Order: sequence, then structure tokens, then C-alpha cells
Amino acid sequence: MATVEIKELHKSFGDVEILHGISFTIPDGAFVALVGPSGCGKSTILRLIAGLEEITSGEIHIGDNIINDVEPKNRNIAMVFQNYALYPHLTVAQNMGFSLKLLKKSKAEIERAVQHTAEILGVNKLLHRLPKQLSGGQRQRVAMGRAIVRKPQVFLFDEPLSNLDAKLRVQMRAELKALHRRLATTTVYVTHDQIEAMTMADIVVVMRDGNVEQVGRPLELYDKPVNQFVAGFIGSPAMGFLPATTKVGSSEMVLSDGQVLSKPTCAALDGGYIIGLRPEHIQLGGNGASFKATIEASEQTGSETLLLARLADQEITILLRERFDTPIGDVQTFVINPTAVQVFDSQTGARLET
Amino acid sequence: MSATDRARRTNFLLDVTLFVICILLLTPLILLIANGFKTPQEMLVWPPTLFPKDPTLENFHKVFTETPLLRWMLNSFLFAILSTVAIVATSALAGYIIGKFPFRTINIIFILFLATAIIPFEVYMIPLYFQVKALGLLNSVGGLLVGYLVMSFGIFLIRQNVIASIPDELLEAARIDGAGELWIFWYVVLPLLRGPLAALAVLAFFQAWTAFAWPIIVMTRKKSFTIEVGLANFQSAYTVDLSLLSAASAAVMVPSVLAFVLLRRNFVEGIAASGMKE
Repeated sequence: MATVEIKELHKSFGDVEILHGISFTIPDGAFVALVGPSGCGKSTILRLIAGLEEITSGEIHIGDNIINDVEPKNRNIAMVFQNYALYPHLTVAQNMGFSLKLLKKSKAEIERAVQHTAEILGVNKLLHRLPKQLSGGQRQRVAMGRAIVRKPQVFLFDEPLSNLDAKLRVQMRAELKALHRRLATTTVYVTHDQIEAMTMADIVVVMRDGNVEQVGRPLELYDKPVNQFVAGFIGSPAMGFLPATTKVGSSEMVLSDGQVLSKPTCAALDGGYIIGLRPEHIQLGGNGASFKATIEASEQTGSETLLLARLADQEITILLRERFDTPIGDVQTFVINPTAVQVFDSQTGARLET
Repeated sequence: MSATDRARRTNFLLDVTLFVICILLLTPLILLIANGFKTPQEMLVWPPTLFPKDPTLENFHKVFTETPLLRWMLNSFLFAILSTVAIVATSALAGYIIGKFPFRTINIIFILFLATAIIPFEVYMIPLYFQVKALGLLNSVGGLLVGYLVMSFGIFLIRQNVIASIPDELLEAARIDGAGELWIFWYVVLPLLRGPLAALAVLAFFQAWTAFAWPIIVMTRKKSFTIEVGLANFQSAYTVDLSLLSAASAAVMVPSVLAFVLLRRNFVEGIAASGMKE
């Protein structure tokens, strides 16, 4: 186990800079998720930690060592790839024992370690099969087994669940989390799926265009996003954004269609802003400011109702915990608690403390 | 006419067509083998008989005692095996490196490799002959091999297979697991290329086995002929000893047919399959 520290990391491919000076620290034993839209550089960071790409400038520390110029095999890390990367011509046992064989461990030792790991992952009945004889979930477990068996300092996961079907993904999510609790090995997990990040990670690093937008605990990101991007990225369904104006001393936020929402507590606001409404904070009744919106689409999942509505010429999503049947095109009245409204600077996108 | 009837009729027509093509392809082969067992008199009978009336082993006996046929076969075999080993080795290495380490200079080299395929052998046959002569390699297997160590098509075939069937992640996983580059090539890449390499081996073997122009100018002593050159020797400017030539050809076919039968599965698989499978 080890702390991973990333300092002012830059990476360029030719003239194109992919990472623009990234810094963050992964505490010993933590499960950290790197999340962001595709092309944000999250996989590149993982490949730099693994040593599969060369660092342009900056430092990566694992434990007390700077590993910039250390060969991948000497970094004491293990990586699980999106497509599993199992050796097709080797059996499950040989796949899992591959790294130990390269470390010149004795046959008995390899067998014991493989057996032990296979039991943890529940694949001990598959040890003599070839990868092509396994299902997607089984391959995923074997790939994890191959990583676990050598007891590395750091685990690296590159979107390991994205090739699985939805149901299996939820199950593997729980298994991975349980595995991390058991092994307590420092883990870096790359995903584009914010739900995976939110449910599994101790710390989430949100990235965009080669920059870190925010580092924090999952609920911290949800409750206090630093800017509009993080607010929109974290949470599903996504937050709705509306332009609104206010004056100093006024208790109202005026939307572009003239509707009025009451202002969060910060009275100093003056001018044009962007306000953010989380779908799950909008309700049919109760305390708070009411507004009218036109229903454009309605999806019933049984446990909840998802409405797509038009408010002040913007589309917003509304998530109701109850069943609510309404004709398309109907105008409905909704309520939102003013304290749940988030306010963003309309120029910089930064969230304003309210 | 119902759909099943129509399908049945199509199948029947297909079968008949294939059967006719099959007969057309097999007839010369059967005639060749039959001719090996005919007497010189029966050889000249018109129309030719498909099965010898009075089969004789005389032709085979003569061929093996009066000409160094076995020696020629051995020469050909040695030449073909060494050429196959060299081509498989160079194609595997070059194809892997070109496929997985694509620097700009390597791509230029690859294009040069491919370009050699459009230059006919006859164009550089004579300069190559003088080089081999200067090296003192005439009448030796070494001299024969000079033009048969590298096959541009082989490099191309392996490169395509490497790109299509060996994902980068597999090599990266091995690097993280602690494997060196040579180890990766030997224990990860080569096993995965077994199919295409076997196909290439068959191609390379037959290319050398059936080579004619190069052996006939490099090998001038009768004892160092390859089998193709030796067979050509049965016909001179004025006469062709057909029954002897047939017997010799039939004898020569045995090893190549055997090799093909044994490697047929690999051959077809390696050429046909290069899609990404797990």
C-alpha cells in the first residue's frame, strides 16, 4: 500500500497538450475515481501512473519514490483494462499466475497464490478454462484476479465495467467495493460514469479538458460543486440551468419569462446569474417558491416519474418520487425550496456560496 | 415450384458444377500417376488409357537407379526447410515490429518491403547471380537461399494479423506484469500468431519447393540440382522421356501432398481468419 502523489503533471502528444498541470494526492488505501467526459485526460493519467506513457513534465510519487523514470514492471502496480487483456492462449490459472512466474516464484507458491485469489473472486472452478470459454463477468473477475494475485501497492482500473451489461455492472460495482474494503489497497479507478464514481469512490476527481475541476468526497461534489460543469456532471438526471436576474436587497430571482423564484439567502447578489435546479429537489407541492412549466415528455419507471419540462425557454428535468400522470403539453405548477437552488456566476461558471 | 424445390435444384446444379470442375482438376493428376506405371508403348497409344493395362514398376526403378532423384529431393527439402524457417522468423519479427511499433521510419521501411513485391524476380536474377558467384556460393544451398530468406508478402501477412488480433492492452498488461520485450514476443505474440505463421510456412515451403529459375542458374552440377531442375532434365531439346518423367513426378508429389494434408487446417485458417476474436 502506498500514497500516490501527482504534482504539476503535463502530458503532450506532439504539439497537443492533453494534461495541463494536474496535481492531486491519493491517500494510502483510498479508492479514488477519476471521472469526466471522454477526452478529458483521465485515462492518460492512469497510463502515466502505470508507466505506459512518458511524462512530459511534472512528478508522480508512489510512496516515497519518484517513479517518473521507473519501468512499469518495477512500479509495483497492477492494472485492469477495459477489454480485460487476458492472454487468450493461457488458462485462467496461467493468466493469474503470469506475473508471479515472471517474478520467478516457485510453482507451489504460484499455485497457492492463484488458488487463494481464485477463492476470493469465486473463480476457482474455472482455473483450467481458456478466456474464450468464460462469460463477460467471469473474464472481469479473472482480470481482477490477475491484478490482485501479486499484491501490488496500487491498483489501476481503466473503465473495467463498461463492457458488462447493466445488471452485472451493478453487481460487480458492489463486489469491487467489497474487495477494496477487504484488501485496502490504494486504488485509482477511471470511469466516465459518474454513478460508478459516486457509489464506489472515497474521493472523486472530476476532470475536464486536461484540468482537474474539483477533488472531493462524492456528496461534497453533489452538494457543493465548485462550478457549473461539476454541478451538471455529478448527479443523474443532470441539474437544469436557467438564466436569472436579481437586484441587491431584492428577495427575488427573475427568470427570462418573468416568473419569479425566491432568492437563496445571499442578499448581495446583483445582476445576471445562472441558477441550477436539481431534478429531485423540484416537487409538486410543499413549501417554497412555485413556478409553472410545460410538460414535454414523461417517463414512468414505477418507482418514480421523470418529467422533461420547459421553463423560461430552457429544458429542465424533474424527478418525482410519486406516480404522476399528466398529458404532454400541460402546464403544471411545481415548487422548489429556495435553499436547494444553486447560483452560478454567468461569466465564469463558478458557484456562489449562498 | 416451391422455395424448397428451387433450393434443391440450385444445390443440385452447384454439386454438378463442382463435380465437373473437380474431375477437370484431378484428371491430369490421375493421368500423371497412371503414366508412371505404363510401358513406353502404352504411353503412345491414342486415345490415352486412364488405367495402365499392363502396370509396371520399371519406370520407378529406372528413375531411382539411373538419376540421383533422392539426392535432388533431399536438396529441395533442405532448401525448402531452411527457407521456410528463415521466412517465418524474419516475417514474425518484422511483421510484429512494424505492426506494433509504428515509427515513421519503420513505415517507410515497410513500404520499401512491399515495393519489392512489384519487381519481377527476372529483373534482378542476373545481378543476384553475380553476387552469389562473387561470394563463392554457386552449387550450394547457401547460394540457393540468398533470394529466399525474406518474403515481403509474409511480412505483410503477419503485420496485418498482429494489428487485427493482438490488442495493445495485451502487450501493456504483459509489460506491467513484468515481462521484457523478448519474453513478450516469445510467450505472448508468437503463440497468438501460430495460425498465420503455419499458413506462411506452407506458402514459403512450396515457394522454395517449386522454385525453378533461380535453382537452375545457381546449381550447375547435376548432384546439386533441386528436384524441379532435375525433372526438367528429363526433357532435352529433341526428346522427352515421358514415362520416366511421369514416374519421377509422381514420386516427387508424395511429400508435398503429405505436407499439405497435414497442414491444410492451419493453411485455410491462417489465410481466412484475421478478425479480432477472443
